[in-house]
Amino acid sequence: MASLRLAGLKKSFGAVDIIKGVNLEIKDGEFVVFVGPSGCGKSTLLRMIAGLEDISGGELYIGDRLCNEVQPRERGIAMVFQSYALYPHMTVYDNMGFGLSLNKTPKPELDARVREAARILKMEHLLERKPSQLSGGQRQRVAIGRAIVRKPGVFLFDEPLSNLDAALRVDMRMELAKLHRDLGATMIYVTHDQIEAMTLADKIVVLDGGLVQQVGSPMELYKNPANKFVAGFIGAPKMNFLPVKVQSVAGDTAMVASDTMSPIPVKGRGFSVGDPAWLGIRPQFLKPGPPTDGEGALRGRIALVERLGTETIIAVDTAENERVVAAIPVDVELAFGDAAEFQFNPQAAHLFH
Amino acid sequence: MRTDKLAIGLGKTVAVAVILVWSLFPIAFLVLSSFKPGQDIFAVPPKLVFSPTVQHYVELWNGWGVFFSGLLNSTIITAGATIIAITTSTAAGYVYSRYSSRMLDASVMFLIIVRLIPPIVVTLPLFPIINAIGLNDTHIVLMVLYATFFVSLGTVLMRTFIDQIPRELDEAAQIDGAKRLTILRRVIVPLAAPGILAVAVFVVVFAWNEFLFAFIFTATKAKTAPLVISEMIGSIDGVDWGVLFAASTVQLIPVLLFVIFMNRYLVAGLTAGATKG
Repeated sequence: MASLRLAGLKKSFGAVDIIKGVNLEIKDGEFVVFVGPSGCGKSTLLRMIAGLEDISGGELYIGDRLCNEVQPRERGIAMVFQSYALYPHMTVYDNMGFGLSLNKTPKPELDARVREAARILKMEHLLERKPSQLSGGQRQRVAIGRAIVRKPGVFLFDEPLSNLDAALRVDMRMELAKLHRDLGATMIYVTHDQIEAMTLADKIVVLDGGLVQQVGSPMELYKNPANKFVAGFIGAPKMNFLPVKVQSVAGDTAMVASDTMSPIPVKGRGFSVGDPAWLGIRPQFLKPGPPTDGEGALRGRIALVERLGTETIIAVDTAENERVVAAIPVDVELAFGDAAEFQFNPQAAHLFH
Repeated sequence: MRTDKLAIGLGKTVAVAVILVWSLFPIAFLVLSSFKPGQDIFAVPPKLVFSPTVQHYVELWNGWGVFFSGLLNSTIITAGATIIAITTSTAAGYVYSRYSSRMLDASVMFLIIVRLIPPIVVTLPLFPIINAIGLNDTHIVLMVLYATFFVSLGTVLMRTFIDQIPRELDEAAQIDGAKRLTILRRVIVPLAAPGILAVAVFVVVFAWNEFLFAFIFTATKAKTAPLVISEMIGSIDGVDWGVLFAASTVQLIPVLLFVIFMNRYLVAGLTAGATKG
């Protein structure tokens, strides 16, 4: 097991800066998820930790050791690739034991460790097969098994579930959580799927444009997003953003309003009167019905109704031509084209620059 | 419609038959003649029915011992050239596939251009050098020469094959603790085996049949079988065609068997990359 410290980590390909200075502390045994849209640099950052990409600037410590120039094999890490990257010409057993055979681990110990990993992942019966004879989920298990066998200080996962079908992905997600509990190892996990991030992580690192946007526990990020990007990225369906103007400021509360919305008080720092701002409201906090005292209100025409069973997702086009999404209880009957009114508690709303 | 299809089918069959006759006739003539009694070989009209004899083979064995030592030389040189060529091509193909730099990219073009220069132009100036370092009439000089002429094509071919092996396998092996050479040996080579065999087929066929360089660079000790066959034509006792055909048949068989055996790899080699993305 190991902790990690990234200090001003940078990566450029020629003149293009991919990672623009990342500072991050990862505690021993923590499950950290790097999340962000395609091209945000999350995979590059993971590959820098693995040693598969050179570090252009800054320092990477694994444990207490500066690892900028250390070979991947000497970093005490194991990695699970999106494509699994199993050796097609080797059996499952040999795939899992390859690393140990390279560092000349005695046969009995190698055998014991491969079988132990196979037992943990419930695939003892697959050991003699070749990867081509396995299903996607089984291949994924082998890839994870190959990592476990090496008893690394840090597990690195690069979008490991994205090639699996939806049902299997949910199963594997639970197994990974269990694996983390059982092994207690440090794990760094890259995904673009914010649900995976929310469900697996002790700590989420939201990346965009090669910079860390926010670091925190899933609920911290959900409740107190540091900026509009994080707010929009964490949570499903996506947070709604409405353009508003700041009318007055008192302490850390600002009164905001728009042409179609009467003034409401929202928490937000660093705003001055007259500033344009974005009012963020999560779809779950929009409730059908007229507002009571002090509540915010939204009106519009229903453009889309998606009944998911557990809840119904409604898209509403407002008079200002903004599309707003609400997640409402299934028993509320609303249909396409209806005029609808929603209310929300201003305390649940966010204000962004 | 149906007659059209029939006509096309017939056309294809005839075309295939013509090609077969065209390419198989010399071989059939050669092999059959080697079993004909001497006076029947050039009989007009050709004798299709004859009583087969192994007389020419016996004469070859008794009178042309040098042919069999030539075969042995051919085998040694072919094996050596093949090993050098596939080792070099695989290593170079791996580098071209996995690394990129301006120098490397430019040198691919160079590899292809070099292949277009008539080999003899590059080879003749080598003669005095090879003579000076005492490598004349040795196996090694032909091994290296033959291998050299296939390293360019072999490298390009191997690069295409290795390009199809996902880089993540290299990376997984790197994390598993493998160094470059181990990755090449334990991961890349087993997966690129069809490509390696395809390159091997090219080199074997070339090295086994090659005449010109063998003629220039060998005299007695490293003389290859094709040279001995040519000597049979220039024999002072006049040409014994039956023995000549027997020798040619013996010379032909190993490479024929090899190509038939390796056929599918050869096809794989020629079409490598054709279906890629």
